[in-house]
Amino acid sequence: MTALAEGAVAPKVKVKAYVARTAGESRGLGYLIGAICVFLIVVMMAPIVLSFIASIKPSAEARVSPPEYLPRALSLENYLKVYEYQAGLLSYLGNSMLVAALTILLCLLLAVPAGYGLARFKMPFKEVWFIILLAPLMIPYQALLTPLYLTFSKWGLANSHIGLAMVHTILQLPFSIYLMRNSFEAIPKEVEEASRVDGASSFQALISIFLPLVVPGVVTVALFAFIASWNEFLSALIFMNKESSFTVPIMLVSVRAGRLGAVDWGALQAGVILSILPCVLIYILLQKYYVAGFLNGAVK
Amino acid sequence: MNMPVLGRTMLALSLSAALFVPAVAHAETLSIWARASSSNAAQHMIDLWNASHEDKIELTTIPDNQMVTKLATSVQAGDVPDLISFDLIFMPDFMKAGFLTDLTDTLGADPNQAKVAQAFRDLASYDGKLYGTGFTPDVSILLYNKGLFTQAGLDPESPPKTVAELEKFAMQIKEKVPGAYGYYFSGSCGGCNIFTQAPMMWASGATLLPTSGDAPAMDGTGVKEVLTMLRNLWTAGAIPESAEADTGANFQATFETGTVGMQGSGGFAIAALKANHPEIDFGIAPLPGVNEGDASSFVGGDVIAVPKGSKNAAKAIEFIQWQLTDEAQLNALAKNLILPSRSDLADNEYFKAEPRYITTAKAVGIGKTPYAFKFNDMVNADQSPWLTMLQTAVFDGDIDGAIEAARETMRGIAAQ
Amino acid sequence: MAAANPAAATFVASEQGDAVSAVLRKYQGLFYVLPALVFVVLFVLWPLAQLVYLSLTDTSLLGGGKFIGLENYAKALEDKSFWRALGFTAKYTVFITPILMGLGFALALLTAPNRPLQQLTRGIIFLPVVIGIGSSSLLWFWLFDQQVGMFNRILVDIGLLSEPMVWFTKADPALLAVTISITWKVIGFGMLLFVAGIQSINGEIGEAALIDGGNYWQRVWYIILPLSLRVIMLTTLISVIGSMLAFDQFYIMTGGNPRGQTFTSVYWIYQNSFISFKLGYGAALSIILTLIILVFSTLQVILSNRSPQA
Repeated sequence: MTALAEGAVAPKVKVKAYVARTAGESRGLGYLIGAICVFLIVVMMAPIVLSFIASIKPSAEARVSPPEYLPRALSLENYLKVYEYQAGLLSYLGNSMLVAALTILLCLLLAVPAGYGLARFKMPFKEVWFIILLAPLMIPYQALLTPLYLTFSKWGLANSHIGLAMVHTILQLPFSIYLMRNSFEAIPKEVEEASRVDGASSFQALISIFLPLVVPGVVTVALFAFIASWNEFLSALIFMNKESSFTVPIMLVSVRAGRLGAVDWGALQAGVILSILPCVLIYILLQKYYVAGFLNGAVK
Repeated sequence: MNMPVLGRTMLALSLSAALFVPAVAHAETLSIWARASSSNAAQHMIDLWNASHEDKIELTTIPDNQMVTKLATSVQAGDVPDLISFDLIFMPDFMKAGFLTDLTDTLGADPNQAKVAQAFRDLASYDGKLYGTGFTPDVSILLYNKGLFTQAGLDPESPPKTVAELEKFAMQIKEKVPGAYGYYFSGSCGGCNIFTQAPMMWASGATLLPTSGDAPAMDGTGVKEVLTMLRNLWTAGAIPESAEADTGANFQATFETGTVGMQGSGGFAIAALKANHPEIDFGIAPLPGVNEGDASSFVGGDVIAVPKGSKNAAKAIEFIQWQLTDEAQLNALAKNLILPSRSDLADNEYFKAEPRYITTAKAVGIGKTPYAFKFNDMVNADQSPWLTMLQTAVFDGDIDGAIEAARETMRGIAAQ
Repeated sequence: MAAANPAAATFVASEQGDAVSAVLRKYQGLFYVLPALVFVVLFVLWPLAQLVYLSLTDTSLLGGGKFIGLENYAKALEDKSFWRALGFTAKYTVFITPILMGLGFALALLTAPNRPLQQLTRGIIFLPVVIGIGSSSLLWFWLFDQQVGMFNRILVDIGLLSEPMVWFTKADPALLAVTISITWKVIGFGMLLFVAGIQSINGEIGEAALIDGGNYWQRVWYIILPLSLRVIMLTTLISVIGSMLAFDQFYIMTGGNPRGQTFTSVYWIYQNSFISFKLGYGAALSIILTLIILVFSTLQVILSNRSPQA
């Protein structure tokens, strides 16, 4: 994870020199900063590590009070329970992957041109359009689900992966557009002028000149679209009608439920670990890009 | 930082997605929705059917507290499953709303239907018509820890027969066994307590939920007695402190720690405890009433019905009638130590080996289910009058005020 | 996709340069924004309009749908539970926002330098952001559990508590518990935005500041903080809206307890719409909440657009 933000900042050499002069001036201060960092790492990792340890305890041991830090015996029974639940973990994973991929696609198809338009063109009522595009952020989406579901079922979009991906896109669109707008804004005017001289149309300019420059923003949008879609529960449940089209979060809610709302703590931990694993993997793989995406996209 | 990286990422994502695209279901398959907590029992029944029938049934599990929303929205959108299995407590609301298919002429004429537990037959009737029947029943019982009984000097073979005795036993366990508690209940879970505390109230004749704005509510012997018992146990520290905040998440977990003497629970606890906690020696008894011999129970579990708009209604009804046959009831349910919905099969060969099942099976006979509209509003909601009453009475101590407030709010809800 | 149209339009515009093309040029940007606008209108504003209509009816999940005018709104004004929930939501927002912003900024200062340990720390602090709010709330619900919770065990072992405590029986510890879990979950988001801000300032101005002299904290106060203002306002906006729509964390961790003292607005809307089946009334409450957030956000957007660019 040390590569995080490497290459994100053009003048990073200067940053290093600058910081060396400030925070790291004395050796003692350096150690203090190091100690704080280690402490923070431990604090932030602890919940996940503890959850992981609990997930590999046999379920009887996971219910011991007070809890033990380390398992006395290892067991995969919690994971097996999740793996074998109803339609099988692979089916839920497949649905989640498909919906997430469609969500990413939709978010990019909408947010990249919108961001481009908002950032590089003059237009009447720009702020009005922008606020309309941010609207989904301000409405409690739980309240929209019922009208949306009824509309979708009229149009044949209910109970389909693309329909669910559209709902997930709604949730993620404001952030995506905001980020893309700022990414495009961050590109210096000279780049655009160069393209004008070449006589390229604005669309050609978008594809061949601008897009390569906003890849970090694009990756960031994709990553967050993935995370949002991967973790979403309520609309996935309302919009899908079959076990074979359910996504991972629905399965996890069902698998940890006992009678009358009782929670199966062991299955819960296994579920938490399984649900964060893909997100963490993608996060680590793409970190270099989206930190830069943040830098260009959110700060402008 | 160039396009190929992004391209590869997208490609990888879409490829991995393509690999997992699920197969399209066969057209002649019937669909059934069941809530998560009963899906295990439902699966046994469905497996047995699928093994012997041409038409297959496919189960979809819906998280418990989302079932009503899910069914209501799908009925409105006209995209319903062929069969539905849900908490029988919602039967009155759904029948009244016209969500379900009238089964009076088909199921109503089936001789097996007459043998189904009374509570299910009552709850599935509206306006003289029949809309469903028992599928995977469960009942509430008193669960007690025999080991703690022995340590406290109590006879592990004689569980409390009255509410007063329950209080006495609980106090004794608290006093005699270090680190142990006498009793447990989920203090922030309306549903848990209508299942486990309410039967002790109505065992002695109390009427709890009103059916109209001027009908009796929280009325009769039992209401105040049970609340007083809980309040006494709470102030004496005989109930774990964590009970107050438990929204039901620890409904089972607390007893499983082995530190709780008694708890109102359900028949499902038997199988769960035997499988996960063989070290706990537990007993099962009927929930007591105020007077000896007043025991009662809450008959819960799932009904099965056909939503209006089902595309295979005829086949769906065939399944409903089939699951009431001796073969289905015994081989799919009793054999797997699940209660049958037919009372006449309660005493079966599979239960003989485990006397604790006989107790639960008997509880189905003496048990009741309140027939109420707006049950969610009155009981299950996070700030329902039922739950508020329990909390105010037990944790704050104002028992009379709590009952009066609940009565008023419930009548207000019923009058709407 | 309508994206092909603008391309053609540009060609026409650049080659002919007459009145038509001037109009096209004026609206060229709008063509790019159009697909997203259409999407939002169809799938957000249209359902929102339906929601407005729903709020004027007595629709229930179980049927109904009679037009009743503003009755639901009148009822909402007198619904003490709703206003209490709104008040609690405001309290939660006011409580958690400074923590998220202050701590986020402090962490950003700490981890902004691109040295290995700091980068690793930054990466790990951000990690919980990728976890779903449902999963993280359940994880913390378990950690806080009196019986099996590790957090209690740790607090007892390091001597902060004498015995495991029940966090959710009193409103204040419950609020604190939720705040701890949400801080863990989202602190990395703000931190990373701030890091990005600080790094861009350092790159552009850091050197000048170095030459000017002045100690580290002076630079933070006089240079980094003022220049980060826009980022801070943006992050505050996102964070405040998020807090005002808080639901999952309270639904999972407190269940509104004790005695309904930790209901948030959205939780109360959820209760009315889906537990009590009162869709129409829930819709009215949603509209009220949306209006409150809309007014607040518009103010914020206008303010931040007027503030000097970083």
